[in-house]
Amino acid sequence: MISIRERGKIAVGLFIFSEINFFLLLIIAYVYYHSLPGPGPTAATALNPMRTGMFSLALFASSATIWMASRASRRPDSRGLAMWLSFTIALGVLFMFGQAREYYDLIASGVTVSRNLFATTFFTLTGFHGLHVMVGLVALSITLGLARAGKLHEHTTDGFGAVEWYWHFVDAVWVVVFSVVYLWGAVAS
Amino acid sequence: MHLLPTFAPASPQAHALTTLFIGVLIVLGAIFLLVTGLVIFMIVRFRDRPGAPEARQIFGWTALEVAWTLIPFGILAVFSVFMTFADHVADPMVPAGRKPDLEVIGHQWWWEINYPDSGVVAANEVHIPVGKAILIELKSADVIHDFWAPELGRKIDAVPGHPNTLWIEADAPGTYLGTCAEFCGVEHAWMRFRVIAQNEPDFDAWQRAQLAVPSTPSAPDGLAGARLFTDKTCVNCHAVAGTVANQTVGPDLTHIASREMLAGEAAKNTPDELFQWLKDPNAIKPDSHMPDFKLSDDEAHQLVAYLEGLK
Amino acid sequence: MSQIVEAGVAPNLIASERAGLLAWVASVDHKQIGILYIISSMLFFLIGGIEALVIRLQLLAPGLHIISPDTFDQMFTMHGTTMIFLFVMPMLTGFSTYVVPLMIGARDMAFPRLNAMSFWIQLFGGVILYFSFLAGGAPNAGWFSYTPLSEKAYSSLAGVDYWIIGIACIGIGTLAAGINFVVTIICLRVEGLTIRRLPLFVWMTLVNSFLMIGALPLLNAALAILLVDRFFNAHVFDPAGGGSALLWQHYFWAFGHPEVYIMILPAFGIISEVIPVFSRKPIYGYEFVAASTVAIAFLSFTVWAHHMFAVGMSHIANLAFGISSMLIAVPTGVKIFNWTATMYGGRIRFTTAMMFAVAFLITFTIGGLSGVSFAVFPLDWQLTDTYYLVAHFHYVLFGGSVFGIFAGFYYWFPKFSGRMMSERLGAWHFWLTFIGFNLTFFIQHVLGLAGMPRRVFTYPDLPGWAAMNLISSIGAFMLGISVLVFLWAIFDGLANGDEAGDNPWDAWTLEWATTSPPPPENFDRVPPVRGRRPLWDLAHPDRADEKVASA
Repeated sequence: MISIRERGKIAVGLFIFSEINFFLLLIIAYVYYHSLPGPGPTAATALNPMRTGMFSLALFASSATIWMASRASRRPDSRGLAMWLSFTIALGVLFMFGQAREYYDLIASGVTVSRNLFATTFFTLTGFHGLHVMVGLVALSITLGLARAGKLHEHTTDGFGAVEWYWHFVDAVWVVVFSVVYLWGAVAS
Repeated sequence: MHLLPTFAPASPQAHALTTLFIGVLIVLGAIFLLVTGLVIFMIVRFRDRPGAPEARQIFGWTALEVAWTLIPFGILAVFSVFMTFADHVADPMVPAGRKPDLEVIGHQWWWEINYPDSGVVAANEVHIPVGKAILIELKSADVIHDFWAPELGRKIDAVPGHPNTLWIEADAPGTYLGTCAEFCGVEHAWMRFRVIAQNEPDFDAWQRAQLAVPSTPSAPDGLAGARLFTDKTCVNCHAVAGTVANQTVGPDLTHIASREMLAGEAAKNTPDELFQWLKDPNAIKPDSHMPDFKLSDDEAHQLVAYLEGLK
Repeated sequence: MSQIVEAGVAPNLIASERAGLLAWVASVDHKQIGILYIISSMLFFLIGGIEALVIRLQLLAPGLHIISPDTFDQMFTMHGTTMIFLFVMPMLTGFSTYVVPLMIGARDMAFPRLNAMSFWIQLFGGVILYFSFLAGGAPNAGWFSYTPLSEKAYSSLAGVDYWIIGIACIGIGTLAAGINFVVTIICLRVEGLTIRRLPLFVWMTLVNSFLMIGALPLLNAALAILLVDRFFNAHVFDPAGGGSALLWQHYFWAFGHPEVYIMILPAFGIISEVIPVFSRKPIYGYEFVAASTVAIAFLSFTVWAHHMFAVGMSHIANLAFGISSMLIAVPTGVKIFNWTATMYGGRIRFTTAMMFAVAFLITFTIGGLSGVSFAVFPLDWQLTDTYYLVAHFHYVLFGGSVFGIFAGFYYWFPKFSGRMMSERLGAWHFWLTFIGFNLTFFIQHVLGLAGMPRRVFTYPDLPGWAAMNLISSIGAFMLGISVLVFLWAIFDGLANGDEAGDNPWDAWTLEWATTSPPPPENFDRVPPVRGRRPLWDLAHPDRADEKVASA
């Protein structure tokens, strides 16, 4: 029997399994329409893998910083915990800023969600990912607040563990999305 | 029409399906009788009554479990074999280069039928020669529809953006009823059609008649109706060969008088019912795309006279 | 006394000290939430039933104009959506919510507040869905909303939007419930209750929860994209804009097929409890019933395109899905055989619960067998989208899920309320239902073979069609009366029923080892668990299950 003290992580694990299925269908829609030729913008013409790649590095780095945060919490080192959590949030915000810039530039140049099927599936897929990042940032902020108020301790490490797993998942989804949309999509056209 | 068209196949394709169905039904029926028989036996034999022995605490028997897993598995394997045969006959591969004999396009809520070889354009009534396998290319102009004449073959969807092919055939001359079989909006119920199979000479005669351009009507009523056909904007949706009317929004009316039914079979093609249809389409087929032109009785009679002349 | 595992939530959050209506709204107690699910599901059952009666009234005879075609379309769309998402699923979830923590000797679910959220968001989704009647009309594109009919071009009113948002809410609640059940069952079992000793109702809930977790996100993805199409003028599912109508179908049915198993597995669990108890012997072949459930769960994700045999897929695709669909019949059949064999050598008591369980065996088998006729895909080409299909799914959903629900209701009503229902009224309910149900739906098999398509608001006067529709409509009204009798039986039970006591059925699982209804903390003490039937072992220590099995 698995201890009830792990219940947060198990729940998030199950939730991650469900979210994989959710993103799977969005990715399939993107890939399916990518293989059908059509007029209008494509990944190759509209996207900038270099720039998005830079901002992606921020998101990937935030997985490392949250890992550092969880190490700090286990020591326990509450100042280290708060510091690494802050870095994680900052990196996440940086990534979102990059996304916002990218969306703004695309829309300004006429690549809107209804422009063509590439645009629709692109915005839907990256948009839902961005939504998940934002939810993660909220969860991280709450965690940071609890940490700074000294309320993160043995009884709530399960909750922090759950947030950590979620954040790694959001990152992993971006690895897949970035590879499929920006790398493969921009090259194989 | 036969009470159960699924059991009255009139083509080799439908025949293959009926044969498969009868075989499957017999097996499924036997299984049903077995299960129901066992259940009834159990509840009668082991019901609680005074003097009944205590229940035997048995937990199972692995050999039995294996048996009743493998036997159904075997039955289904047999089904699989037979179903590939039926698939082959009911839906044979289209040979490379084989052009369709008919192009059928589903609209909300009528069927457009084009004969690429002869150039005939029809609506809702499909004529085919007897004894020949007819290849239909099935398309949709709007939403998903489905073409189904049960006595002649399988049903298949008309999917916009995804043309399908369908083989139908008729062993003997006759009228075979069909219907749209995929919910397509408010008047899905009245998107029926019929396939009229004719011997070769009759079919050729029908095609020739369908290609004939109707002459201008001579009787005063018919003439007035012809003028109304333009004035009342019927020409915006319908086509009549030999006139300015050439739109395909609604069914082609060049030979409307030759058809048995109207409005996707919501009405019979008699002067009376045609009059009712023109006066108040919503009473017969509510929310169909045919507008109510608020015709006076005289106007409606004149249009009927004109249309009934389009044989 | 066995160790009750700490729920990890402060006890005062579980038992509400406030009285009255507010206590129910604020409750996070699984028993109260279970009752809330059952009450709201019953309400939607009645509404969905009225929608069905309107449909059968309009189809009583050919050429009737009782309601307009558009109203008819709203009726069948709402009937299907309501019965699936607002009746069967929440009712079964309600049973699991109430009973599962008791069956495993726990104090509550792992996440009591999430539990409450699941209920309220589901209800909220139902309210949103029904609000559509006041906002231009209910959705009318069918309960699976095929595109492009459900795209803005052909469904310009907001009905479909309310459908999307309504079932998205319900989907989220269901997903959360699934997660809650899994964590509860793996973490909160009382000591001694190993996975191999789980009551089958708990086992089915566990497997079913994985189905929910896997399938609902597929629906949510499809809904999200359809919403983008409708609100932002996109065309992912719209051929007119380069999109694919079939992609919607694949996406929807990838959810839709596991969904029907989500609707039946808990009912299988109920049957697996009721038949042994009223046969007075253990379930036959426990391991095979449990294992076949897992097989069904995996296979349910491999059969979805059998809903699409008529769209013009390739021969290979048809063959593959035909074979996988036939395959899934095997584990289902195994269960039917095991339930039937459970009665062998028994001493069967025909309580109302047992009568519905026995009837289930027959009616669900009919539905399952007609399902096999669809799996043989060339037959599907004649049978799909006709009344034969309508008959099939009502036999598995009504003759299956609903009969299971009725069995569970009569079985657990004493535990929930502390009172017994009248067996006499129960018998009336049962026979009216059994006869009414078969009268309504058996003839529909023939109607389909006669060529009548589904979802038609009227029909031509072809030979036999009028008579068969009339018979079906009479059956439907008989079912309507049977539901009134059911309501009467419920109220009569609550008002006049005999006191139930802890274990009126002399059953063996842990929910019967406490008072009826249970106290807020569920158990005073949990009896020791050394087998699948703790209370049997307690009463017959010399013939305890695992002692006998290992002998």
